[in-house]
Amino acid sequence: MLNEKEAKRYSRQIASIGEEGQERLKSAHVVLAGAGGLGCPAAAYLCAAGVGRLTIIDPDQVELTNLNRQILHWEKDIGRHKVISVREKLEAMNRGVTIEDLCETVTMQNAPELTGQASLIIDALDNFPARYALNQAALQNGIPCVHGAVCGFDGHVTTVIPGRTACLQCIFPDPPGGSDIPVIGTTAGIIGLLQAHEAIKLITGIGTVLENRLLIWDGRDSSVTIMHLDRDPECSVCGNNSYYARRTGETQ
Amino acid sequence: MKVVVRAFARFREVIGDVNTLDIPEGSGIQDLLIALAARSGESRDLLFDEEGMIRDNIIVMLNRRRLARTAFALTVLSEEDEVAIYPPVAGG
Repeated sequence: MLNEKEAKRYSRQIASIGEEGQERLKSAHVVLAGAGGLGCPAAAYLCAAGVGRLTIIDPDQVELTNLNRQILHWEKDIGRHKVISVREKLEAMNRGVTIEDLCETVTMQNAPELTGQASLIIDALDNFPARYALNQAALQNGIPCVHGAVCGFDGHVTTVIPGRTACLQCIFPDPPGGSDIPVIGTTAGIIGLLQAHEAIKLITGIGTVLENRLLIWDGRDSSVTIMHLDRDPECSVCGNNSYYARRTGETQ
Repeated sequence: MKVVVRAFARFREVIGDVNTLDIPEGSGIQDLLIALAARSGESRDLLFDEEGMIRDNIIVMLNRRRLARTAFALTVLSEEDEVAIYPPVAGG
């Protein structure tokens, strides 16, 4: 149940999602992997929207080169752990949200445990090895995962629903290379916000999410293209012969 | 026959946004990528590796539906097909 203050605070969005939608947000636990260019805007908007519990995972410390896009980290935060910096801003923004910080790298070994309690996972990471680990953990735990990534002016978003949609490995079976990927801050902002937006729809059950659809954002001419996706029956992670499919008895 | 090629992200920077390509009847995905690669050395390096194989991480979508890599060799293109090529982006 919402208290009087909450009903007032969220009144403008309750007008769209109803009290029930707001209560669903309040009881949701979002695990956000990555407190960088995607994670900062996603965290800020989910916190403002009144998600009940937000766990933020990131192993890194704030650097000067992060500040063009990682908008919850400020000059005073350089050298501090990103999860601490984000937690501080979010707690000042909305005391009604429980913020947990985990200063850890997402790996195949720890991902299932890090995400096990989540109602929803947001993949706001910056590299594919960790993204693949998160994808596998989401499938193992049966938790939806909203994936987003950017480079320069370009980005994409899709929502993976275990057992229903193509997983990250189906869509991108081979990781792209590269480090120190260029990012225009607004690109990360747009994609991170789309991820938060997907999360709000998933939690409230309102609208349709990017299920089996890859939204591609082309920031050079501000155009959006939707590509349709299918599960790959040969996928090494969720395909018919995978460990995941055999364990859950799922085939397609 | 004419097919439409849409390139995204890094591919768009090198190949251009939308191209209509005139390719022989019966052409497949590999033929189309070879035609694109012939436009410049930079295009070739983006699309093919040193052994002349299509690079592993290229995502190909035919008429806005993702094509599995195993379907490349089985796909014959038709007039007015739209082929999109996308390099996965990884940053965050």
